[in-house]
Amino acid sequence: MSEGNDGITRRKFIRVAGASGVSSALYLYGGCRGVATRPGKGGRSAANGKKVIIIGIDGMDPRLCEKLMAAGELGNFARMRDAGGYHRLGSSIPPQSPVAWANFITGAGPGVHGIFDFIHRNPERQCAPYYAAAETIPALDGWEVGEHKIPLAFWPFNHQPAETVLRREGTPFWDYLDEAGIPAWFYDIPSNYPPSPSRYGHVCCLSGLGVPDLLGSYGTYQHFSEKTIVDRNEAGGLRKPLVFRNNVAKAKLIGPDNIYLQKPTATTVEFIIYRHPSEPTARIEFQDQTVVLKEGEWSDWCKVDFELQMPPFLPNESVSGICRFYLQEVHPDLTLYVTPINIDPSDPGGQKITEPANFITRLSDKLGLFYTTGFQEDHKALANRIFTDEEFRQQADYVLKERLNLLDYALEHYDDGVLFFYFSSTDLQAHMFWWDSDEKHPVRSADDAKKYANVISDLYKKMDNTVGNIARQYGDEATILVLSDHGFCNFRRQFNLNTWLRDNGYLNPPNAKSLLDPRRGRLVDWSRTKAYGMGLNGLYLNLAGREREGIVRSGERDALLNEIREKLLAVRDPADGRPVIVQVDRADQAYSGPNVFKAPDLIVGYHRGYRASWATTLGDLSKEVLSDNDSAWSADHCMATSQLPGVIFSNRAILRQNPSLVDLAPTILQEFGVEPPGTMTGGSLFTSAVTAGAG
Amino acid sequence: MEAVNWLLINGANAVLWLWGLVKSLLVGIFSALDTVLNPVLSPVLALLNPICTTIGDAVYAVLDLLPVWLGLTILSALMGIVMLVAFRYVSNQAAIGRAKDDIKANLLALKLYKDELRVTFQAQGRLLWAVLRLQRYILTPVLVMLVPMLLCLTQMGIRHQWRPLHPGEQTLIRMRLAQDAGNPIQVQLEPNAGVVTEVGAVPGGGELVWRIRGGEPGRHTLRFNTAGQVIEKELVVGTDFQRVSAARVGPNWTGQLFHPAERRLPGSGPVRSIEIVYPGVDSWIYGANWWVLYFFVISMGAALLLKPLFRVRF
Ligand SMILES: [Zn+2]
Repeated sequence: MSEGNDGITRRKFIRVAGASGVSSALYLYGGCRGVATRPGKGGRSAANGKKVIIIGIDGMDPRLCEKLMAAGELGNFARMRDAGGYHRLGSSIPPQSPVAWANFITGAGPGVHGIFDFIHRNPERQCAPYYAAAETIPALDGWEVGEHKIPLAFWPFNHQPAETVLRREGTPFWDYLDEAGIPAWFYDIPSNYPPSPSRYGHVCCLSGLGVPDLLGSYGTYQHFSEKTIVDRNEAGGLRKPLVFRNNVAKAKLIGPDNIYLQKPTATTVEFIIYRHPSEPTARIEFQDQTVVLKEGEWSDWCKVDFELQMPPFLPNESVSGICRFYLQEVHPDLTLYVTPINIDPSDPGGQKITEPANFITRLSDKLGLFYTTGFQEDHKALANRIFTDEEFRQQADYVLKERLNLLDYALEHYDDGVLFFYFSSTDLQAHMFWWDSDEKHPVRSADDAKKYANVISDLYKKMDNTVGNIARQYGDEATILVLSDHGFCNFRRQFNLNTWLRDNGYLNPPNAKSLLDPRRGRLVDWSRTKAYGMGLNGLYLNLAGREREGIVRSGERDALLNEIREKLLAVRDPADGRPVIVQVDRADQAYSGPNVFKAPDLIVGYHRGYRASWATTLGDLSKEVLSDNDSAWSADHCMATSQLPGVIFSNRAILRQNPSLVDLAPTILQEFGVEPPGTMTGGSLFTSAVTAGAG
Repeated sequence: MEAVNWLLINGANAVLWLWGLVKSLLVGIFSALDTVLNPVLSPVLALLNPICTTIGDAVYAVLDLLPVWLGLTILSALMGIVMLVAFRYVSNQAAIGRAKDDIKANLLALKLYKDELRVTFQAQGRLLWAVLRLQRYILTPVLVMLVPMLLCLTQMGIRHQWRPLHPGEQTLIRMRLAQDAGNPIQVQLEPNAGVVTEVGAVPGGGELVWRIRGGEPGRHTLRFNTAGQVIEKELVVGTDFQRVSAARVGPNWTGQLFHPAERRLPGSGPVRSIEIVYPGVDSWIYGANWWVLYFFVISMGAALLLKPLFRVRF
């Protein structure tokens, strides 16, 4: 008998993971390793009482911070600044969250950790895009029986089950702490899904940014309405019609794909809506559960079990998810929003979102159910006009409330060693609400733009308050580091890089409409195309021997890169003559490390106010190179690194000149007397040496 | 492989189909039995339930002086002893003794004469017969004792299964309506200090469902007005250990058995049942569902321990 399958019932043994994209079919419960103690209260650790608390505040902008500090509104941050504990913090190239947090985690640039953008492309399939941070490897073989295909991942079959793997490479700094016996806790850490294993059992980690929902997406809401006529699948959600008869309607929640089918199809759970004939109330019933709501009310978290049909001689599997219902309207057209189906923290099945695997159920025992997806603020619902500004603010508020609950838990269970805690609100709310100029807002009136910009200032005050409480609680006992991965700015105008390449003759034919999607019109002719854009900041050459249909020979490469670079830096906005691009980095100069080969050839850094257009990120072209951004997603940071530094605050003086994200890992290691490894390019913030490496 | 798959799939389908058939047959038998039994059992339970509840209240008035787990432990142990003594008088102790002696004798015979085939066969036959006899002598008294046992257990259930609603805590009230209740039916929940109505009755699916919040602590009587008729339902709000009636049901004996604390609803009215979705008691000893397990462990343990003392054989 191989290990794992003796004496364990099949049901425990085989747990089903999510869905279409991201899923792992079979998962062996390893249980706790029993070596060493997990970080925890009471136990004595090698940290010897030493504490380093790191608060990650995604997207906290230095300009706004400085403005609010000057106005006396961030008292706690200002106190740190006055003691020499404040600096602008250099971000990554490009300043995107997954890249930036990977810099933080590894203390090294993308050449080492291999994440260069939200979206990478596979040159073997010419330019097929994929999410950079994690990848799902489908099950290799399986027992084909009827319509099903069952992977038998145990002896003697040893089929390769489907599996989600972390694509972030490099060694996270906590591995060195783990080895030294220093306990470390990470709550909602970005760029670490699935969570990297802890070899010595001193690390507890809850994955954040990058965790998918049960559908395998970064968040798919489901929206049911009598106003909707036909099913619609839009970026970020599903719209479905509702038809009432005698005030009763039936609908189906879409769940994960049944991956045991040879042709996986989505599982569903039927629910019934009873509408009050005259009052603005309704009742939702499914799986022995009843939710009674008034118009405008949110339900608590509800558990939903999605059944995966198996062949008749095997019991069906089920996957548990959680969602909340929001009754937007009852009369005249009943409209119901359902959150993305999140992985159930009390019963995650085969979805591993914490290290150790049972950390998530321990959290849930104390905190109940909570959002587990990486993107919790439903910005897509706002961008797609499912939410109003106010509804989005309320939903985002709720996310922050849950997060603050989690912080209470984190502090309560923290003794010594490292505690990392992450806030997403300042990033995702800023994307939707940030606006700091008198120019015309993409979707809001001037008054509303001002009103909602204040939401961000209020958030900064809340963060100041939170950090202040921690500082008061620990005083000088702990080294406190508060950092953001990048700053923020308006996103007023969008630049279609692929259209620009076409108009400048690098991409052909002149009437090409898309790199990938034939529904858009004429596809690119790769035999006449020298360069293309993919992702938010990436520009790739169509290189012979790398891209499947590459034509640029290596001899031409250098000159071509410099030529495109010069031309990009010279681009001016025809509307007002402003510069559009302020920084263009060559990968071979900006990066070093084993993964540079994956990098875009040029990293395009936009001026504040400008960003890659929505269409160009996945390879579509538009008529104009530059156009107004017309999305409620009206602020961004995927511009130029030099334009969007983040912040670093500490209760200790920061002596290092030009500190950047890669300095955090060595700082933390040195606090515990662990020598940073040679792969880390930065140095401690608390000594005055100058930075050697770059982002 | 194809043939194996075919066999597995069709074999399983055949088994499932057969099981479905057996299931529907059993359901049919039980519902037929229910139709016959209900006219007898429903009035009997209506008579017995108030008596049992009064006794239950008296017993728990004493137990309430102790911590809940200790009360449950003592009660379970006492019931184990009562069952033991009752068993002694209800069962045929002499016959049980003979059967047990036979079993011992034949086991001995099997051991001693294991080389003699004829004796072995005979002993095996006798052993089987003795075991069957023992089963019968034990089963009959157990069946007789089942009825009072069930009544006791349901009395324990209304105390250990659910807990009172906390003040401010949300839950639902579900009113199941008679098929001919009329549509739409108007039901008013009269204002009551024990309840804050969050969402008024939402009709549909033969039910009315309210979302409420616990109000002032205490044992309240909710009054539902419908077409001139008033239907009452008890609501308990508080943070202490109390008897809680999760549902008030109509004249059906299974419902009455499990919800003995309130009078049954009239069979002819527009309302079939009223349920308050109380939270379960949260404890691994005396909490929802666990208390049953704990009860059996303690009562059986006590019975086994004291078996020699009371000279009971089983
Ligand atoms: Zn962002």
